[in-house]
Amino acid sequence: MYQLLLTTKYLTSRVIPLIAVAAVGLCVALVIVVVSVMSGFLNMVQSSGRTLMGDVVITYGISGLPHYGGLITHLEDNENIFAATPIVDGWGLLRMPYPDSKAKQSETVQVWGIEPISFAKVTSFDKSLQWKTPTENQMEWLLFDAITENQDTLRRAMGDDEWEELVVIVNDASGALNYESVMLWERVQKILDDEQWSLVLSFDERLSNPDAIFQQGLSLSQNGSEGIVSGLHVSEGNERQKDGSYRVVRNDYWWLPRYDATLTMLPVDAGGGVIEPESIIMPFVNEFQSGVFMIDESRVFVPINIAQQLLHLDQAEIVDENDPTEILGIDPAKATSILVRGIPGTSADDLQIIVEQLYDEFVSSLPLHTLVLPPSRSNPGLTIHTWEEQQRSFTGPVEKERELMRTLFSIVYLVVAALILSIFWSIVFEKTRDIGILRSMGASRGSIVWIFLQYSLVIGIIGSSLGLLVGWLITKNINSIHDAMGNPPLGIAVGSFALAFVVAVYTVSKAKSGQMLPIVLGGLGLVVFCGIGALVLFIKSVGGLIIWDASVYYFSIIPNEVDWPSSLVTVCGAILFCLIGAVIPAAKAADTDPVKALRHE
Amino acid sequence: MSNVILEGKNLKKTYRLGRASVCVLTDASLQVEEGQWVTILGSSGSGKSTALHLLGGLDRPDKENGGIVHFRGESIWHQSNRRINKYRNKDIGFVFQFYHLLPELSVLENIVLPAMVGGLGFARASAKSRAISLLEKFGLGHRISHRPRELSGGERQRVAIARALINEPSILLADEPTGNLDEKTGGEILDVLSTLHKEGLTIVLVTHNIEIAQRGDVVVRLRHGQIDRPATLAH
Repeated sequence: MYQLLLTTKYLTSRVIPLIAVAAVGLCVALVIVVVSVMSGFLNMVQSSGRTLMGDVVITYGISGLPHYGGLITHLEDNENIFAATPIVDGWGLLRMPYPDSKAKQSETVQVWGIEPISFAKVTSFDKSLQWKTPTENQMEWLLFDAITENQDTLRRAMGDDEWEELVVIVNDASGALNYESVMLWERVQKILDDEQWSLVLSFDERLSNPDAIFQQGLSLSQNGSEGIVSGLHVSEGNERQKDGSYRVVRNDYWWLPRYDATLTMLPVDAGGGVIEPESIIMPFVNEFQSGVFMIDESRVFVPINIAQQLLHLDQAEIVDENDPTEILGIDPAKATSILVRGIPGTSADDLQIIVEQLYDEFVSSLPLHTLVLPPSRSNPGLTIHTWEEQQRSFTGPVEKERELMRTLFSIVYLVVAALILSIFWSIVFEKTRDIGILRSMGASRGSIVWIFLQYSLVIGIIGSSLGLLVGWLITKNINSIHDAMGNPPLGIAVGSFALAFVVAVYTVSKAKSGQMLPIVLGGLGLVVFCGIGALVLFIKSVGGLIIWDASVYYFSIIPNEVDWPSSLVTVCGAILFCLIGAVIPAAKAADTDPVKALRHE
Repeated sequence: MSNVILEGKNLKKTYRLGRASVCVLTDASLQVEEGQWVTILGSSGSGKSTALHLLGGLDRPDKENGGIVHFRGESIWHQSNRRINKYRNKDIGFVFQFYHLLPELSVLENIVLPAMVGGLGFARASAKSRAISLLEKFGLGHRISHRPRELSGGERQRVAIARALINEPSILLADEPTGNLDEKTGGEILDVLSTLHKEGLTIVLVTHNIEIAQRGDVVVRLRHGQIDRPATLAH
């Protein structure tokens, strides 16, 4: 009982335990934030790998897999396989709608030709589509586009006065819409009669049915023609906001689904030689965000038949070299990869074995006279990998990094122990006389140890709980903290300099007395506040800092989920090491000769 | 005598100071009867505090031929640590020259502390009410929640005496209790001790001051590490 009384009194009447609590808390928070971010990073890598490519990938990139349709049917017949989908991938150039001049920018993109329906079954393609429905601004732009692109048709359906009025409104909008909403819908609808209005709506399906944009993305088609879905970071028009959402620059002017894309690809013949480049123009129908920056900045999806055409992997006739009129047979369309997803509960490793067996079965089941055969499994160009193996070059280093971080930051525990040890050493020294007094009134050695252990236990529990709280808060808000550090508000600089001024005035007024402590504290405060202010101004002057560069770390946001198991281990570890740090001084305290202790001044 | 409560027999204590060893007590013997006030008179450095510490179980006599301390006929150093702790806690009360109050605790908490060490909770009404009645008896009823640093020397020593008495010990051991006080305040403290003695408390007091020594029933003189008997005052 009295140990508790003394522990409470010691804790509340001194500054040292507060410093110890703060130090333990900071150590714990540090470890929690680092380990949580690293674990979250690894989880994101792994889960994105899986959602992007299913469980198992069959790849034959050299000339593509023929008869892939039959292979997929054979795969899907197996009870362990949920779905499989063909991919044709290659590199291409995408002509972007910007800038305003005639010379347009081109982006290098990785083109994936997909079958949208089966692709969505294997991956989370549907969930990654960015535009479920257009924003109000985007709807205004769509109406603006519909009117300007179909003005001849519209002119014929309208009277002169109405037409003049419409031209004024649309001309106004063409400038103003870059900055603000111009209520285009209300104003146009006011001029037009019902028939004219239905005509306008008929120009673009998205005008009458805003949800159509999502369906267009899912089906990679728009108004009957094929379309392209591009990664969110392919376009320079998309800007990430602090809350993680995206905004299109110039008030949605550069919103890709308004434009057509020109996609150029280089087909390669069976010998590896380059054939004439192939181009196609088609509309952007939607954009996708997988969360993996590397993919979002370079990948576009097109219908598989388009990719096959552009890469010359579509169905073709095989002719006699000596007599081109003689048709020897048909070269079937090919896919470069097949993505396979297992039913829930099947491990990727098990599935890999199943897929290998099924592949062998399929190849041997083909008739002997088949002209173009898929490669056998002994062909080194053919790989059947799990998503983990496919991502190994990517996840492996991250996994190692996390373990390294864990090991390095475990040293923090030793810091905690050393800290508590030194603090308790001084506390015990200071309290030696108290120990003598307690011993003289019959306190046992064990109970003296227990006083200091209780003391350190309280420091450990309070400190690591605070650390857990701080770590949780930092991890949860790490993206906003990151943004604020990269682009700090000017108010912080102003506030820091104001505080520095106050500290300076206070220090000067105290300096007259000649006492050192206020001068030292004031000087430190001055340096810290001026430093913060200057740093903010510096960051402002260089236009903000990017600390977590998405192009380096693959992901566009920093993982912000707390790794609870590791955090709880950290908290328990910190408490344990507090006890370890305290037990030595506590034992020393208990062994103090009471008579000597009483003489201690 | 049957009513000897505390007895030190042939006590010997040697301190090591670096390589040299100083023999403070060579062969000191003392008997304290129940209800007696025994004063140990000795000059500074004569070993009188050491003698008191040995009697109070705070310090051990030399291992070889160090003598024996008997409390109610039992040798205290031939008991378990637990029994010695209990002896310090229940059977004796210590009063020191420099009060030795815990600065973080209030007056009341300081007084109740030995009761808590002995296993009673602070909230236990018996310990608390006894502490309050002791404080009132010593004229400190208004100081209950003060911190020791807010008290005068005399007040602090009265708090220390109250603390020594909280567990109703058989003997009060006082080590120069007035050594740090002016004559008047010291006199008041001695008056308090006299009152307690009249109420039946056994007291062993250590001092270098002959006038103070006159308060006791029996005065012994400590010289050359030995205690002289019979107890007669030279002046």
